[in-house]
Amino acid sequence: MGLFMILFTLIGGITLSAQSSINGTLSQKAGTIETTFLTFLTGTMFLTIFILFFGSGNVLALFEAPKWQLSAAFLGTMYLLLTVMAVPKIGVIAANIAGIAGQLIIGVVIDHFGWFNSMVITLDVRRAFALLFMMIALYFIYRGNKRSVKESTVQQV
Amino acid sequence: MRFIFYVLALLAGAALSFEGAIYAELGKSIGQIETSFYNFFMGAIIMGLLLIFFRKGKISYAFEAPRWTLLGGVLGVVYLTSIVVSVPFVGVGITMVAVIIGQLVMSMVIEHFGWLGSKRTGINKEKVFAVVSMVIALILIN
Repeated sequence: MGLFMILFTLIGGITLSAQSSINGTLSQKAGTIETTFLTFLTGTMFLTIFILFFGSGNVLALFEAPKWQLSAAFLGTMYLLLTVMAVPKIGVIAANIAGIAGQLIIGVVIDHFGWFNSMVITLDVRRAFALLFMMIALYFIYRGNKRSVKESTVQQV
Repeated sequence: MRFIFYVLALLAGAALSFEGAIYAELGKSIGQIETSFYNFFMGAIIMGLLLIFFRKGKISYAFEAPRWTLLGGVLGVVYLTSIVVSVPFVGVGITMVAVIIGQLVMSMVIEHFGWLGSKRTGINKEKVFAVVSMVIALILIN
């Protein structure tokens, strides 16, 4: 079950990267806020139909859910806002890599302490090494992208 | 001063992990697809408000744009739902590592071929090293 979940989540990551390319193309002409709004709007429309036919949960239970759980919706907006602030100052690649580092570190910390009722997975040596390898990967992506950018500007000249 | 913007970018990423952990909890009580629905519904309201007050672009372009450029929302649904479903089973850490690997590897492929309107940037030695390190990390964390 765990392995299946990991594969499912990998697909989630794949669709996310396709989404950012598509949204990048759209936002050049429509604008950032406009594109994000359209993303949420079409997502809502799709899910409305999907829930009506296949929903097994209870949407109305939203009104009884603890408010701190509902506040997660603002975190996604906060991500967008902070990224938009950081990109012009440090560049897209650096902003993305710093963002991913934050995501990984906090992800492991949440597991370690079992925050938000999540399952407790302690930060052992294996996990620390996994984090280290992710950081190495990020470093190589940074280097690789810098080289691609340099090569493409040389070609343009 | 640049230092502050690195911290802001780190916080942005941290927000995503918090979001994943909290939505997993909400998913247990109201259902996973319902949680995705809530996220997109609230997101549309928040962005709708921002759009009314801070719009700079051209929303009507949606009716002129090539249709495939409007598929972002549907793709986002797959991403969010996969997180809400996966976190209770394997935890936030593995979920985030898997999402990030899928995202980074696919970005490399998309950029290598210049798909979906992206600028073509080839895969090089450094990027291959990066993928190898990520796979090692996934094996270690699991």
